[in-house]
Amino acid sequence: MAAKGDMVYAWAADAACQERGECGGAVTALLTHALESGMVDAVFAIKKGQDIYDAVPTLITDPAEIAETAGSLHCGTLLLSKLVKKYLEGAENMRIAVPVKGCDAMGLYELAKRNQVNLDNILMIGLNCGGSVSPVLARKMIAEKFEVDPDDVVKEEIDKGQFIIVTKDGQHKGISMDELEEEGYGRRSNCRRCKMKVPRQADLACGNWGVIGDKAGNATFVEVCSEKGANLLDAAIKAGELKTEAANPKGIEIRGKVENAMLKLGDKWRAKDFEALGEGKERLKTIMDATSRCIKCYACIENCPICYCVECSTKKAYLVEPGQVPPPFMFHLIRYAHISDSCINCGQCEENCAMDIPNALFMHALQVDLQEMFGHTPGVDMELPVLAMVEEQTERKRLSDTGSDQIFNIFE
Amino acid sequence: MDLKYVQTTCPYCGTGCSFNLVVKDGKVVGTQPYKRSPVNEGKVCPKGTYAHEFVNSPDRLTKPLIKKDGKFVEATWDEAYDLIAQKFKSYKPDEIACLSSARVSNEENYLLMKLARGVFKTRHIDHCARLCHASTVAGLAASFGSGAMTNSILDIAESKCVFVIGSNTFEQHPLIGRKIVQAKLNGAKVIVFDPRYTPTAKQADLYASFYSGTDVAVLNCLMGEIIRNGWEDKEWVSKRAKGYEELKATVLKDDYLPENVEKISGIAAADLKTAAEWIGTAESSALLYSMGITQHTVGVDNVKSTANLQMLTGNIGRRGGGVNALRGQNNVQGACDMGALPVVFTGYQKVIDEAVHKKFADAWGFPDGICEPKNGYEVTVMFNVLTDNPGELKAMYIMGENPMLSDPDLTHAEHALEQLEFLVVQDIFLTETAQHADVVLPASCYAEKEGTQTSTERRVQMWRKAQDPPGEAKVDWQILSEVGAAMGYADQFPYQSAEEIFNEMASLTPSYHGMNYERLNRPEALHWPCPSEDHPGTPILHIGKCSHPDGMGVMHPIEWKPPAEVPDAEYPYILTTGRCLWHWHTGSMTRRSETLDNEVPTGWIEINTEDAQALGIADKEMVRATSRRGTVDVPAKVTDEIKKGVMFMPFHFKECAANVLTNNALDPIAKIPEFKACAVKVEKITEEA
Repeated sequence: MAAKGDMVYAWAADAACQERGECGGAVTALLTHALESGMVDAVFAIKKGQDIYDAVPTLITDPAEIAETAGSLHCGTLLLSKLVKKYLEGAENMRIAVPVKGCDAMGLYELAKRNQVNLDNILMIGLNCGGSVSPVLARKMIAEKFEVDPDDVVKEEIDKGQFIIVTKDGQHKGISMDELEEEGYGRRSNCRRCKMKVPRQADLACGNWGVIGDKAGNATFVEVCSEKGANLLDAAIKAGELKTEAANPKGIEIRGKVENAMLKLGDKWRAKDFEALGEGKERLKTIMDATSRCIKCYACIENCPICYCVECSTKKAYLVEPGQVPPPFMFHLIRYAHISDSCINCGQCEENCAMDIPNALFMHALQVDLQEMFGHTPGVDMELPVLAMVEEQTERKRLSDTGSDQIFNIFE
Repeated sequence: MDLKYVQTTCPYCGTGCSFNLVVKDGKVVGTQPYKRSPVNEGKVCPKGTYAHEFVNSPDRLTKPLIKKDGKFVEATWDEAYDLIAQKFKSYKPDEIACLSSARVSNEENYLLMKLARGVFKTRHIDHCARLCHASTVAGLAASFGSGAMTNSILDIAESKCVFVIGSNTFEQHPLIGRKIVQAKLNGAKVIVFDPRYTPTAKQADLYASFYSGTDVAVLNCLMGEIIRNGWEDKEWVSKRAKGYEELKATVLKDDYLPENVEKISGIAAADLKTAAEWIGTAESSALLYSMGITQHTVGVDNVKSTANLQMLTGNIGRRGGGVNALRGQNNVQGACDMGALPVVFTGYQKVIDEAVHKKFADAWGFPDGICEPKNGYEVTVMFNVLTDNPGELKAMYIMGENPMLSDPDLTHAEHALEQLEFLVVQDIFLTETAQHADVVLPASCYAEKEGTQTSTERRVQMWRKAQDPPGEAKVDWQILSEVGAAMGYADQFPYQSAEEIFNEMASLTPSYHGMNYERLNRPEALHWPCPSEDHPGTPILHIGKCSHPDGMGVMHPIEWKPPAEVPDAEYPYILTTGRCLWHWHTGSMTRRSETLDNEVPTGWIEINTEDAQALGIADKEMVRATSRRGTVDVPAKVTDEIKKGVMFMPFHFKECAANVLTNNALDPIAKIPEFKACAVKVEKITEEA
């Protein structure tokens, strides 16, 4: 019987599933079993749309359709968490299996803390993620740096520090991520700063790092992260849909090294990006200059996995004059005040910004500062955010008694 | 639960952004980014973010309506079609006029054009392009041989200098505004001239406010400075342009010296010189314009002047250059391409050309022929004919247009519609215009049908069906086909899908010849001209040669003329009109979108702070604005962000309709009205008034 902490190599028993899926098709087999066995009512996953640059979320209730979601799409830069809340009733009335990148998992936790999704009904199949590339930039990069027609590319992957493409005539071509990113191509800037590479807050964490020997490329490294995950793994094996063997200790070591290297790279990008923002008034000026081109499209709010209020403060006329473009800076201040302690750096507010304002960078910089001050890490567990610790009535009284404007007394 | 994403193209402006409609259990419930779009990369403006909100509005028309004793009663489709056929059969061709729509698909515009010319056999078909870019079509065609935006949207980001005159890009084409941002971040200089300190102006490196209607003087001044300093592109001018000497003689006149144009335009001479230097010396310079250039009695002159400047500096047929005429509506380019104009069939093939006329007559195969090969009336002329020569036009078929709010001088427009014996309106809401109809046909919105639309950069993109139309409402091309059949021409309207209509159109239209749904279903789609199935499409026009038969660009010497109506003692202010970010034209969609309506629930008049002080008017105070055409009461917005002496009103709002005030004076060539300049007075509303 599997237990939390176990690490195995896993692959689909079905040959077709092995072929279609990534690294032996274990995730596809797990999702299929979860749906077939009735462990969940639906699978919510990503499938390929028009081409490999087009990721489309899909809700599946027929196990036969899971095959469409097999394989990886590094140019899919979607966040599933908010969609679960917005369009799937927060999994309140339905048990759903969701393959999650680190940001998807973190987003689901933050929504769960705010009672916007029911984690009990969500089975999270975690996927290791080294980052993703925006589709249009990926095509530009392939045309300009790889000198290949992006329409001729049938597969892309990120491996051993390279972005690798495979063309329809079978050619492989790889360029180092560092080189690409120095020149402004490569992963989204939030992905570069990300330090959630193995999503252990999911029920299972799956990936290819650490699969060595004859299983390299043909099996998935699965780390069991919860009892729910253990149950799914056991059941899939028992049903004959999944095969496993113990992970090679050398492989486990290698996986650890890869993860650490990615985390160090994340630190490097954080230092670089945050330093460029400056500090104090200089940082404020940078933020005010960039946000001055805001056209209030609300994409940052609509796509943010932390934003959930029915009555949004940015829509209160006494705080933000309605209709004004660009909106007063208060619009952005409200977002910083409400989100920054819980920002998971998913990047959606930046990627979807109509005016290319580096919103995620600003918010992430604030979050990292707050994490240093208060020791709260968002997205990893059900610990409530900093402001939630405040007893509102007590605080209001304290403010009124002392005349202080320090809403949360950080010096206590 | 059933949940799916349907990728589609935005129904609002001409940028051609894509997004996903989220469809839950057969109903559209939201939008989500479509990040694969090369145009907008998943990003949209607020209208795009909330483009789902009006789709299932309870106000949607769901049944045909027939007016009986002044009141609408619900009818069956058969009753409606029978009445329409009976009435239209009773009129002579020249007594019928049709207004097509920049809001519906290419296929539907093509079909209404076919219905008008083949079934009703009338010459009179036009649409609201007359009110926005008629001057572009005429002006750029005269300059370059093709009346469309010369470069592509993505190309703007490559420019080294972006000159915006008469476009509030950030509010009207926001995702093109993003390209200005990208150009700027890449080191481009941005120049914005506008009477208002718009969100676009706020991003400029050089902004100057000027008096609406002085564009030719400003452009001539810039050209004069460029020539005096030797910044013109001598090779382009000598090899590719005709008419340079005449242009030079005009723009070098003393009248257009910066110091003199400062007096006319209100732009400081130093700013004019700086702009000329930036434009003249940049490696590439893109000019962006929109209604601020076109909606004048000198609209065609303005357009030709922008073309002159760009030819003079060699910015035609060059990456990062171009005359980027930003088309307003989602499919106004397509509606023009489809021949919903009184002088052309599809692809700008002239109706007076006997060979073209025969080609369409033969292809369509109407047993009793089609309309005579003569030009018809423009929409503005139709309305003038209705009031000035009652009885000449008797019946009108209007699809997806709302002239009762969008036309100049609304009192005149209403009077015109009242002259009609019979009016059919096909729309999704009971608009101000539909209320005047005898028969109202419930139609479908963008989320309910397949079809194509052509964006401002001539990119032809797909609409995809996400849900069924509400109630008994039908898809527009189906309605048009059924009207054709009811009139006795079922054989000419045999369509089972939008694709069949597209293929028929493409077979008759050289610039669309190489397009089909399979090719258009790619995210990149295709830019016309695309003459054959192996042609990759044409993102940038006029590379190497222009589209005139001799390949040359034509420069036109143009003298500045003031607007038809200028301020005087009684009406001392210039009124200019336009749109805001939150609403679309007559508001029938956006005012029914809760989020957008909450942002901006009603109209306003912008008044300069000094003018307001002189008038004793406070911010948000209800004031009375009057022109020679009419009077409206409207809340004041007192601001430093508009030039002293100029006032601005958005035209979306029926309760304070700017077009009650605007002037129906027309450009002599394009017949576009002067929405951008008329004379008004503004008064405090006193208790006894």
